Amino acid sequence: MPGTLTETTGSPPPPDIPELPWGGDGPDRDRPERGGSRSASLTGIIVLMCASTMTFAALISAMVVRRGLNNDWGHIGLPQILWWNTGAIVISSILLDVARRKLRSGNRQLFNWLWSAGAVLGTGFLIGQAIAWQQLSNRGFYAAGHPSTAFFYVLTWTHAAHVVGTLLPVLYVMWRALRYELGPGRRTMVEVSAAFWHFLDVMWLAIMALYAFWA
Amino acid sequence: MKWLFSTDHRTIARLYFFLSLIAVFAGTALSLVMRFHLIMPAVKIGADVMAPEFYLSMLTLHGTLMVFFVLTLAPMSAFANLVLPEQLGATGMAFPRLNLLSFWITLASFCILIASFLATGGGPLSGWTAYPPLSVVGAIAGPGQGLGQTLWFYSIGTFCIASLLTAINIIATVIEMRAPGMDLMAMPLTCWNWFLTAILTLLSFSVLIAAAVLILLDRLAGTSFFVPGGLLVADQVIDHSGGSPLLWQHLFWFFGHPEVYIAILPGMGIVSELLSTFSGRPIFGYKAMVTATISIAFLGMLVWGHHMFISGLNPYSAIAFSLLTMVIGAPSAVKTFNWLATIWGGNLRFTTAMLFAIGFVSIFVTGGLSGLFLGQPQLDAYFHDTYFVVAHFHLIMGIAALFGIFAGTFYWFPLLFGRMMNERLGKLHFYLTFIGAYATFGPMHFAGFAGNPRRYADFTTFDFLAQVMPLQRWITGAAFFLAAVQIIFIWNLFHSIWRGAEAPANPWGATTLEWSQSGIDTRDTKTCPGP
Repeated sequence: MPGTLTETTGSPPPPDIPELPWGGDGPDRDRPERGGSRSASLTGIIVLMCASTMTFAALISAMVVRRGLNNDWGHIGLPQILWWNTGAIVISSILLDVARRKLRSGNRQLFNWLWSAGAVLGTGFLIGQAIAWQQLSNRGFYAAGHPSTAFFYVLTWTHAAHVVGTLLPVLYVMWRALRYELGPGRRTMVEVSAAFWHFLDVMWLAIMALYAFWA
Repeated sequence: MKWLFSTDHRTIARLYFFLSLIAVFAGTALSLVMRFHLIMPAVKIGADVMAPEFYLSMLTLHGTLMVFFVLTLAPMSAFANLVLPEQLGATGMAFPRLNLLSFWITLASFCILIASFLATGGGPLSGWTAYPPLSVVGAIAGPGQGLGQTLWFYSIGTFCIASLLTAINIIATVIEMRAPGMDLMAMPLTCWNWFLTAILTLLSFSVLIAAAVLILLDRLAGTSFFVPGGLLVADQVIDHSGGSPLLWQHLFWFFGHPEVYIAILPGMGIVSELLSTFSGRPIFGYKAMVTATISIAFLGMLVWGHHMFISGLNPYSAIAFSLLTMVIGAPSAVKTFNWLATIWGGNLRFTTAMLFAIGFVSIFVTGGLSGLFLGQPQLDAYFHDTYFVVAHFHLIMGIAALFGIFAGTFYWFPLLFGRMMNERLGKLHFYLTFIGAYATFGPMHFAGFAGNPRRYADFTTFDFLAQVMPLQRWITGAAFFLAAVQIIFIWNLFHSIWRGAEAPANPWGATTLEWSQSGIDTRDTKTCPGP
């Protein structure tokens, strides 16, 4: 049954949140009109994914062209921590998605655990990225160095900027979830931020594949 | 000041409208100073004669203001916000707060741009295309290439973010918020054009922002994406290696050409609606119009290379870009003939808005025809750096789009301010503007034929340009005339805001949904109490 507790723990039962008939997030969302819906938000985030894909595509195509221009291309050995970071973002993506499904089926406590774990892993990914940049810098690989390194920094910085922008709503969702303010009828931000997190997951895998096999 | 923080789409439309108005004031003033300097370069403006660097700095600000803050903002951000939701049967945009955020980021971008012009060391002077390497190497390249140029790139990057947010909002609104039963092929052509403009914005500004990031890193972090090795500037070897200025041109024009359609497509939508309304007939060939618009948008994404014929492009690439450019003529012709077929035999009402719509068709055809010359690599090799190009893009991108903006302003003024603009003054303004536009930009084609180079601050030092000076003097006179007659519009606009006749519910007898309410209601629904 939507909005009810399905797992019993020692914590107090969360307040009941009725599902809204039109699938939106309630009249407090500043959208009294039709269209304040989850569907519109998901459409918006898919369109944003298209824009971000174009940005990454532009950067990668510039990288392909730049590599062919001169003989100054050099390979960088990827810091080991990047593989741990890859694991972190993939697992975090899985956790957020399972959490999203749990919320939809009304299991709010399990959602809270899974979502929080995903958010922590996501934050860990970002910290891991900062460590990777530091390690590269310590090894003498700077943005102003050879173009392969420069593009690595550009791509990972751009990706990290997206991650920061997505982690904010993910952490906000976590905060609201822990206060039991979310439910099956109030989960637009959950759906939207999880969808964009998956997108960033795929983008990261593409960047890693590019540097592991080509650059 | 509540309206500054309102999420009401019509209030945001008004904010964009006035921001564009400020930008067009500033851009026009700059162009007049430049035109005056071109015919009288020895005259002192202030304490001294104008330095060429200052001329180029004004040229840069003029181009940037007009392209980004007038031709991008007014047709899409202002007018789409004003009527798109109601035309779809909705009461607002999909994301009202994102909508307001877009405006604020745009305003920040505008402030950064003005700051770049006033920056220590001078305003940027690389033009609105900011070609490297000179736009990258910094202050060593001369006045304006230091802080001013850096701020310019920040401004453009910020503008990209705002435009992307607006595009997301428009696309989501069109997809999600249409009234029940209104499928895509039942939308007014205005909505189709804003929808496709938003898609173009999404695809092209997201590339420009990538290019802006790369070029800022070249300037600030010492990377070498766009700066070649061994570059000697001011007797100093630049510490970059291996980059390619051509790479910037590819990325920039991948944005830059669709930008032409971002400016003109909304105007096409407005004109389609107005010709239909004021002819008392449905638009001729609705499906063909939609198909033509989609074709123009699609092909417009594939022809960026025709801006680079003389940049060292592979000749085979040039042929491909040239052919694709020519193909755009086909859907453009479909639109033109359908517009003519719409008004043919109709019960025409020559309101000011209708006159500007017809004027748009005229300017669009004239400006489009000169594009056929420039789309051919052999001819472009001669014309590219001449006033022929200035004439072409001012007509097709500037004046045609401005006619669309004027048409939209007169037509939707009741929805903007609840009153009517003065028709007699409007018609006078149209006829004088129409004459002034052709008088200014028509002769520029001949200056181009004569080999008159563009971007030069002073023609008097070149003997071979002595023959075009009378023409240039005429152009300057016409430009001042064109600017002067805009006073009529400004008077009409502001007088009508406060003193105009109250607008009836549907003053034009239009059939689209924005006029379907029982009376004109311009109240801000997000800050004013309801009835």
